[in-house]
Amino acid sequence: MIPDQSLSFTPPEMPGKASILFVEDDDTLAREVVEELSARGFSVSHVSTGQAGLEAAISESYDLMVLDRMLPLLDGLSVIEKLRNQNIRSPVLVLSALSAVDDRVTGLKAGGDDYLTKPFAMDELVARIEALLRRPNDTRATMLRVGPLDMDLIDRTVMREGREIELLPREFRLLEYLMRRPNQVLTRTMLLEDVWNYRFIPQTNLVDVHIGKLRRKVDGPGETPLIHSIRGSGFMLRVTL
Amino acid sequence: MSLSENPRLGVFRTATFRLTLAFVAAIICGMVLQFVLLFVQMTHFEAERSSGILHREADVLVQETPERLEYQVRERASNELRVVINWVGLFDGHYRHIAGDLKTWPEGLEVDGKVHRLTLSPTDDAPYEMRFLAVRVPGGRILVLAHSLHLLSELRFMIRRGALLSVFPVVVFALLTGVVLSHRALARVKTMHEAIDRIMQGDVHERLPAARERDELERLAGSVNRMLDRLEHLMDEIRDVGNDIAHDLRTPLSRVRARLERATSSPHDADYLNSVIERATLDLDQCFSVITALLRIGEIENGRRRAGFAQVNLADLVADIVDLYEPIAETNGLALINEVTADPACAEAMTTFGDRDLLVEVLANLFDNALKFTPAGGRVTVSAVSGPGMIRLRVADTGIGIPEAEREAVLGRFYRSDKSRHVPGSGLGLSLVMAILRLHGVDLAIADGDGPAERPGCAFEMVFQLSVVSESA
Repeated sequence: MIPDQSLSFTPPEMPGKASILFVEDDDTLAREVVEELSARGFSVSHVSTGQAGLEAAISESYDLMVLDRMLPLLDGLSVIEKLRNQNIRSPVLVLSALSAVDDRVTGLKAGGDDYLTKPFAMDELVARIEALLRRPNDTRATMLRVGPLDMDLIDRTVMREGREIELLPREFRLLEYLMRRPNQVLTRTMLLEDVWNYRFIPQTNLVDVHIGKLRRKVDGPGETPLIHSIRGSGFMLRVTL
Repeated sequence: MSLSENPRLGVFRTATFRLTLAFVAAIICGMVLQFVLLFVQMTHFEAERSSGILHREADVLVQETPERLEYQVRERASNELRVVINWVGLFDGHYRHIAGDLKTWPEGLEVDGKVHRLTLSPTDDAPYEMRFLAVRVPGGRILVLAHSLHLLSELRFMIRRGALLSVFPVVVFALLTGVVLSHRALARVKTMHEAIDRIMQGDVHERLPAARERDELERLAGSVNRMLDRLEHLMDEIRDVGNDIAHDLRTPLSRVRARLERATSSPHDADYLNSVIERATLDLDQCFSVITALLRIGEIENGRRRAGFAQVNLADLVADIVDLYEPIAETNGLALINEVTADPACAEAMTTFGDRDLLVEVLANLFDNALKFTPAGGRVTVSAVSGPGMIRLRVADTGIGIPEAEREAVLGRFYRSDKSRHVPGSGLGLSLVMAILRLHGVDLAIADGDGPAERPGCAFEMVFQLSVVSESA
């Protein structure tokens, strides 16, 4: 969408191109998505039926699958089920026109790793694909170190190069989420869903306000800014690792 | 349809007529029962009477001397004794005939002073029944008195005849009444039928003739009319909503169109084109948010799915949402005050049965509204009052408020205030809130908020039923 920033979306440490299988029966939408994902450095294969998707996923190994929920011949959830039975564990992002909470739950229960409701912004899709490709850092660690930031998960303290940053519990949770996913675009919906566990679209710029508060505490005067807003899509904790 | 095809058949296919037939059958049964009882009683009475006559005569005759008795029997057989006693016979100890018109000993008769009912079968006549009484008289003789059943059979005949004669006119009368009544009922149903046909042909203002609702039929028509009123109201509402939504979608769409048209009409630099595309995307997002909200409301209203229902602690829920909205309230210069957790006893018993995600959406929408419509320096307060088995959750602000006259309309389906039109968002937040609360069986009311009297703001009050589990806990 915004060409000069799309470069930063491609994670620098990702070796080679990630391969994505995209199963979607709406060919116009599929063409757009395939072009967009290819432009962002993914290698994308597209098929339009559930059966073809299943065969492709079995015959070739993909890093990730994006699967429409409603597909001709074999619906998305059955495809996931069959894949998991075949012991194919690549992450699956389910796309659906159904937004009901129940559907989301059944989608995730069936073995999907994330769920995105149509219509979606391309940035949202890309951000979620990247999040799935790069699973968060080791969750058992008691210390998180990202660039100049040190987070002690037991004492609940955060230091930036010797300066202690005092955070409210909600700010701590938000920073922890960002620090587990450095250099990765995190959209507002992802933050709402994962940090606060809410699944609605607020009519106010809630997330921006929370990020703004956190940023004022993390990025002190004269320090290199770490928390960046990515126009049109979300936020990123950008550090040189 | 069958009514109009064959009107003559119509009368016989009405409920009234079928009811009439049932009544006629009941009347016939009643009459039969009545005649049977009458007959049994008469038979009994006649038997008593005839036994009484036989005994009385026998008692008188036993007193006589043998000579006088024999004389009496000979003479009586042809004179006044005939009137009450039909046959008399005098027999010796060996049942041989001495005198009287009863010439042979009736077979089966025993000399025990009791009345016996026996059938005689004379060789020259048809068999007939009589009542006999045999008593021993002085001189070792036996006197036999007989009384015929003639009167009884006559009574029997009269009753049977009377019954048959009266059943016929009664049945005919009942049937005629039934036909007339059902014809009248049918005429009323027919007018209703015609009214319904007119309504189905599109005349939505037509109503059934209900008059003053004097009977079941008119009360039913009255109910149907009220249902039609409600439906018509809903249809109007939906039509208005449809117009409103079309309008709301057309505004951003026409902006998008104008921008794109201008961008393609003449050469522009990349920056300009980028900004056009960006603004067009924002406008389209606005359209999507309206459509998404509509679909979501439909989903919640139609689905009635309670799969996501579980025990939800309202105090925790409120605390979470307040935590989420506090920074933005602060940024807008508002105070967001949570009074729900202040009372720990109250907070503990605040568990209700519901879908957490949907209830979060309710509170988030109410907060969104309160923050949107409350100017800086104001405050938004969440509080709870508990009653027996319920809890009243209140979200109050000191904002611009909702005029009393508009309050009921606000809670209607798909209501959009003119004020909310110029604020970003789908404008359908309250409709969504209503849909979710309806799913939970929660009432929503609008009251004055916490502001000063001249501008009180508004308060949304929800009454939640508490879970039984938490009450005992």
